Amino acid sequence: MQFEGSTKYVLDSELKKIVNISIALEMPLLIKGEPGTGKTMLAYAIAESLGLRLIVLNVKSNMKLIDALYQYDTLTRLNDSRFGDSKRNVANIEEYIKMGKIGQAFVSDEKVVLLIDEIDKADTDFQDDMLDVLDMMQFDILEIDKTIKAKHRPIVIITSNAKKDLSDPFLGRCNFHHIAFPDRELMSRIVLTHFPDINKKMLDNCIRAFYEMRDIEEIEKRPATRELINWIRALRMDKDFDAEMLSRGKIPYLGILFKKSRDLEIANKNLIKIK
Amino acid sequence: MFSELFFKLYEMNVPVSPTSFLRLHKALYLGLINSIDDLYYAARSILVKSERYFDVYDRVFAHIFDGVELRDPDEDEMREVVRMMLQEWLKDPRELAAVLNIGEEELRRLSPEELIEYFLKRLKEQREAHHGGNRWIGTQGTSPVGHSGFHPEGMRVGGISRNRSAVKLALERRYRDYSVNTMLSRSNVGEALKRLRLLRPEGPKDVLNIRKTIDNTVRNAGEIEFVFDRSMVDKLKVIIAIDNGGWSMDPYVDIVQVIFDYARYQFKECRHFYFHNTIYGYLWEDPPRRSKPFKIESLGQFEKDTRFIIVGDASMAYYELMAYNGSIYYYEKSGIPSVARLKYIRELFPYSVWLNPVPYDEWQYTHTINIIRQIFPMYETTLYGLEQAVRSLM
Repeated sequence: MQFEGSTKYVLDSELKKIVNISIALEMPLLIKGEPGTGKTMLAYAIAESLGLRLIVLNVKSNMKLIDALYQYDTLTRLNDSRFGDSKRNVANIEEYIKMGKIGQAFVSDEKVVLLIDEIDKADTDFQDDMLDVLDMMQFDILEIDKTIKAKHRPIVIITSNAKKDLSDPFLGRCNFHHIAFPDRELMSRIVLTHFPDINKKMLDNCIRAFYEMRDIEEIEKRPATRELINWIRALRMDKDFDAEMLSRGKIPYLGILFKKSRDLEIANKNLIKIK
Repeated sequence: MFSELFFKLYEMNVPVSPTSFLRLHKALYLGLINSIDDLYYAARSILVKSERYFDVYDRVFAHIFDGVELRDPDEDEMREVVRMMLQEWLKDPRELAAVLNIGEEELRRLSPEELIEYFLKRLKEQREAHHGGNRWIGTQGTSPVGHSGFHPEGMRVGGISRNRSAVKLALERRYRDYSVNTMLSRSNVGEALKRLRLLRPEGPKDVLNIRKTIDNTVRNAGEIEFVFDRSMVDKLKVIIAIDNGGWSMDPYVDIVQVIFDYARYQFKECRHFYFHNTIYGYLWEDPPRRSKPFKIESLGQFEKDTRFIIVGDASMAYYELMAYNGSIYYYEKSGIPSVARLKYIRELFPYSVWLNPVPYDEWQYTHTINIIRQIFPMYETTLYGLEQAVRSLM
C-alpha cells in the first residue's frame, strides 16, 4: 500500500516517506504544523489515493472519549419501552448502541482512513483514554459487556494545532511529523493544482508578493497556503485586476491574507517596500 | 551506528524512548529504509515527537552521518543487522544465491550462522578489494542486499541522492526557529506567544451548571449527575522591568516588548519599567530613563500576586550590585545597595522571575549573575526558558 499523493494534494517527498512508513508500521501519524498548511487535507488525500473510505472525528473541547467510541441511546429506549411502537427489542440493549466515529472505523468491513482532527482541543484525559484504544485496537461497551475489536487496522491520521502540549505517553505511540511551510517552488506546484489554467506571470507575481508579505517582521499570524489560495481565487474573480499591479506595490484584498487587524495595519504600512 | 544516533539524541536531552528505538529497527527489518534519506525521515518521525527537537536532531544527524566522520559499523553491530535482515532475504534464495555468487544448493546447506559468516566475509573482501565501484552491496538498488535490505555501507554509497541529500538537508537547519534553545527573535514570536498563553489562571471546577446537571440526570434515567464548570478568575497583572541600558541588551529589549505587547489583552494590566544594569532607588516608566521615575517603595501599591518579570543580562561590576553607593548615576546614590533592593522586590512579589539573554552555559563566569540567581529564579530568554519561567510564575 503506497501513498503517492492525489489530484488536489501536492506532496513533498519528505511527507510521502513518512506517511508510507507510518502505514507500513501501522502506527498513528501525528501531524503538526502552521494552520493552513494542509494537515487535514492530507487525510483526505490519503483516502482518495488509496481508494479507502475516510472517517473524520472532529474533536471538540468538551468531548469525552466514549462519544467517539459509541453512544447508548437511552432516550429512544425509554420511548420504546413506554409506547412500544418500534420493531426494536427493548430488552436487547445492543439495539440501542450507536457507533461513534472510532467505533465505525473499527467495525467497518474494509480498511478505512481515520482522521482524528485537532486532538489538542480536547483535554488530556481524552488523549490518555484514547491511547489504549488505539494501542489495542479494541474497546469495551460496558452496557452490554461486549468488546469491539477492529476488523482491519485503520490508517490513523491525527492532527494538532499545538494549542496544548500532548502528553508523552500519547506521543510515544505516534509517529510524528511537522509540516514545514512550503518553499516557493513547492508552493507554485500547489497553486497550479488548484488553478491549472493560471498564467505564469500571475502565478509568479502572486507567489513573490505573498512570500514578501509573509516575511514582514512583526506579523503575528502569518498567512498560509489556505489564505494564498483564497487570495488568488479572489484576484481571479476581479476583472480589473492585472498581475502587473502586484509588481507596482498595489495589492488588493489584503484582508484575505491578514485576519488580525493589527497584522493588516502592519502589512498596509509595509506595502511600499514590496516590489 | 543507530545506537549512536539514539544515544546522542538522548545525551542532547531529546526525549527518546527505547520503544521507539525498537520501532525504528522494525522499520529497518521491514525493508522500509533503503537509503540515508529514508533513514533521516524515518528516524525523525519515529524517534522525535516535537518540532522543538527537530533542530537538535538535524545537528546530531549531520554529525553522525556526514560522510567523512562516518565510522564503519563494528563486527557485532553488523552481525546484528545481518541477522535481522536474513529472514527477509531468505524469501528469495535464488537471488540471494546469485548475489553471493554461490549455487542455490550450496546456499541451502548453510545454516543461518554460517550464512552470516559467509556474508560478513564477502562484505569484508568487498570493502578491501574495490571500494568504489561495488555492485552488490547497495549501490543502485540492483541486489536484494542493498535494495530491500539495509546495509550501512551501502547506504552511504547509494543512498545520498545527488542534489538534496538528507545530510545536506539536516545541515540547512530548517527547524532552527522551532528549537527551544534558540534565543527569542522576530521569527519565533508566534512560538513565544504560545508559551505565554499559559500565563492565565484557571479557576477550580466548583460552579454547578444546573442546565447540564438536569440534562445528564435525565439521560441517566433519574440518577443524579452533577456537572461543574470552572469558576471565573480574574486575569493576571504583570509588571515587566527591562534593562535597556547596554548594547548587549539591545536585541532583546524590542523583542520582549513586542511579545508582551501582543499578549496584552491576556492580562488585566501590563506595566513596563526600565532600568540600567540593576535596580536602585527608582525604576523608570520612560525608556530613556529621564522624565518619569518610579520610586521602588511605591511598588508596594501593586497587589502581591502581580507577576514581576525582570529582563536583563545581570552582568555588571561587583560593586554596582553590592556597594552602598553602587549606582553609576550620582542621583541614585541612596545608601542602599542594589542587592537589597532586589531582595525587597522578591519579597514583595513572590511570583517573580528574571529572564537573561546570556546563554546559560556562560552564567557561571559572571559573578553578579550568580548572586542575582540566588534571589530570583533565572531563565534564559529562549523558548524553553520562557516556558519554564511561565511555569514558575503560575
